[in-house]
Amino acid sequence: MFEVIDRVKPGLQKLIAALRETYPYASVLAVADDCRSWSISRGGVNIGTPRMGGGTGYVVRVFDGTGCAEYSFNEFSEEKIPGICETLARRLAEQGKALEGAAPLPTPVPADEPAALKKETAWKVHPRDPGDEAIVKKLTALREKALACDARILDAQAQVAYRSCRKLFLSENRDLDQTLMWTTAMVAVMANRGQEIKMSYRPFSVLGGAEVLDDMDAGVEKAAADALELLDSQPIAPGEYECVCDPDTTGMIVHEAFGHGVEMDMFVKDRALAREFVGEYVASPLVTMHDGSAVEQTATAFFDDEGTLTGDTIVIDKGVLKTGMCDALSAARLGMAPTGNGRRESYERKAYTRMTNTYFQGGEFTPEEMIASVKDGFLLESPSSGMEDPKNWGIQCMVTTAREIKDGRLTGKIFSPIVLTGYVPDLLKSVTMMSKTPELSGSGFCGKGYKEWVKVSDGGPYMKARIRLG
Amino acid sequence: MIERIKKALDKCGISLWRINEMTEETAELFFVRRQLDTRRIKDVHKYEVTVFRDVEEAGRGFTSVQLIASMEDGQIEKELKDAYYAAQFAANPPYALADPVQAPPVEKAGELAQAPLAQSAGKMVRALFAPDTHEDAFINSAELFVSRKRLRILSSEGTDVSYTDANVNGEFVVQCREPEDVEIHNTYSYDGLETQALSEKVEEALTFVRDRARAQRVLKSGKYDLVLSGNAVAEVLSYYVQRSSASAVYAKYSTWQQGEDVQGGDAAGERLDLTFRATAPYSEEGIPMEDLPLLREGKLQAYHGPNRFCRYLGVKPTGNYKKLSSGNGTVSFEELKKGPCLWAVTFSDFQMDPMSGHFGGEIRLAYLIDGDTVTPVTGGSVNGSILEAQKDLTFSTDRYVTSKYDGPYAVRLTGVSIAGAGE
Repeated sequence: MFEVIDRVKPGLQKLIAALRETYPYASVLAVADDCRSWSISRGGVNIGTPRMGGGTGYVVRVFDGTGCAEYSFNEFSEEKIPGICETLARRLAEQGKALEGAAPLPTPVPADEPAALKKETAWKVHPRDPGDEAIVKKLTALREKALACDARILDAQAQVAYRSCRKLFLSENRDLDQTLMWTTAMVAVMANRGQEIKMSYRPFSVLGGAEVLDDMDAGVEKAAADALELLDSQPIAPGEYECVCDPDTTGMIVHEAFGHGVEMDMFVKDRALAREFVGEYVASPLVTMHDGSAVEQTATAFFDDEGTLTGDTIVIDKGVLKTGMCDALSAARLGMAPTGNGRRESYERKAYTRMTNTYFQGGEFTPEEMIASVKDGFLLESPSSGMEDPKNWGIQCMVTTAREIKDGRLTGKIFSPIVLTGYVPDLLKSVTMMSKTPELSGSGFCGKGYKEWVKVSDGGPYMKARIRLG
Repeated sequence: MIERIKKALDKCGISLWRINEMTEETAELFFVRRQLDTRRIKDVHKYEVTVFRDVEEAGRGFTSVQLIASMEDGQIEKELKDAYYAAQFAANPPYALADPVQAPPVEKAGELAQAPLAQSAGKMVRALFAPDTHEDAFINSAELFVSRKRLRILSSEGTDVSYTDANVNGEFVVQCREPEDVEIHNTYSYDGLETQALSEKVEEALTFVRDRARAQRVLKSGKYDLVLSGNAVAEVLSYYVQRSSASAVYAKYSTWQQGEDVQGGDAAGERLDLTFRATAPYSEEGIPMEDLPLLREGKLQAYHGPNRFCRYLGVKPTGNYKKLSSGNGTVSFEELKKGPCLWAVTFSDFQMDPMSGHFGGEIRLAYLIDGDTVTPVTGGSVNGSILEAQKDLTFSTDRYVTSKYDGPYAVRLTGVSIAGAGE
């Protein structure tokens, strides 16, 4: 499927050689993309090619006297090499003139140490193999099952999407080749109370293929029941409560509240409070946090979009902040080794420090024991959105459902929607219980600010902490 | 390439199709303080082909594929055949494709569309940093994207139109280190070289970040008269955009009828006056775009959206709009803030959920106003419902303009629930 990469590789190697005649460093990332999505709702059936990866194209990185520069394009052949070199040089010169000599941010030229690999992730069933007809039939059946749950259900949506891509990173000393595939799915159920529509959904994700379809049946009835429960939900009385977070909510706290704050391009910009806390307790000793490709989820990769090999970064070890995650440019500026977190939305976009698979390790309790330990609080479920605040470690996370717990039992009362606020270390230091098994979910995309969407997964165990809710 | 695609479509027996050709070039600059972090340029040329297929008793389906010029003919044919095969399983009730349009190319006027990208980027960078002259509050980092596009739309129905577009957008972070080290994240987007508007936005952001640095976490939980400004006003109004879309009405997610008083007859405040602005001569389906009244006196004037859903509802297809304007505004911003209220200036992320009508976000800077006493506060969160708030809206006569919004700078909502940060 990705033969184009083999076809252009000799030409790209010649491009690197041509660029090296002018620049002390040159690399190219080539991406070949294959995406498809299938969905069904009351609005109809849709089969599409979502733009989640940006398509097939190339990005060249060079260093010149001013620092790092990049050129993204999507038409390449050996004949175009002189034109690419000329365009890059001319436009950088034009830009330099228009900026009237703006000072560069000092950045050492990358070391470009030798590395070579060719790897691919595994899948059981390629999403194209069942065929469009079979997938649409499966989604139709899931939707009808959800609609049959209760007459108050307004609509149900079922969808599946996958992205398979091959990435080739070449520099003078690096030849890295990987093929990755993830597949995600979702069942969403909507019920209405007048003009107000309540929605509940169940996400599914796998580093793999259409085998994720087998998991979807189990989520339909739960999504329907949750949507109907939300019809009777109430606004919560603002305050600080004992909370048990489900693994998805733990994941949102890991990712949004803490993870963005240890993306080390923020250290370079003096935008992250975490920089002052390396080596210090920022969380309860029950908290150990990982990021990387030691687990198989949707953000697993063998190398990042700057040609750095990936691994397992222990960010927090038993409550102590050990390190952040780092892209190659930021690592050079900070004088440290990159961690394989330089990621791009697509070949058309800049690489930033980005999370991959980010999660808290498990503890020793069961979810039932944790709920039983709460005198007056809530079980938080179904995170809906979150936003980072690396500078001040403020929390903004939203969850759809807070289930009331009184004297160790769920009362059946539901509150929604819920805004989580507060100071990140306060929340993490208040963690008193973790369940045994972390669960990761990779159904969503993560933005840097309000853009630059990349596939990530996050999660953890059930987690008990004190949290301000509103 | 267009002729190669047409030939492949013909060879594959595909008689209903649309081709969207897009070329884009950009100049992108990234700064840490005033130092250049990275420079980027981009030249891409893409073709998206949508193929339609009629299926007996099932209706009409479609799928799309993205093609690039370096593909060989055999690969193009394979992609198109694959899409055409899939389209039969995506059949929905039948509908007519967008009406054919043929017109001369439309060239965007103005300096941004005409001048070299590097030159435009240089002017905007100077505007960005011009107010950055203070010791206490400064630009921490910034990004600038200058983009120029040429788009062409062709269809099997006979459409052949093209136009050019240009945009400048980006973000900047302002920081103030004393008495507390804080920042505020800002975004901007303009259709022209709006150097003065960008400088004013930076100047305002520097004022806000100074106030955030001395803001106290003293906000108490309760009901407040809430003043929202800038992008948050557009976000609140997005509820009406989503609920009036043809796709939402067709799917029965919205029960709104044309002519219906969707703001509610018991609304005591200003009646909503909203209009869509056409920012491109054609939609991506080739539908000619023109300004469209959406709400007048709180009553729905029109559904809007892509061809298929508008056809289903029996209304004229409008295309998807990207800019909303509001004619509301009865008092000056200074008047709007009089009387006890909370002016929430910046959030970590302010969002409207168009399904539930709930809006909210964590407050990064707000001013607690009570007579002559103005207290900067931080922390806490807004949790409101437009279904309640729309009954009493007051808009400022001061205006705010971006590439996506043109309307009042601020709106005052009564009795909104706030979770405090101070107790």
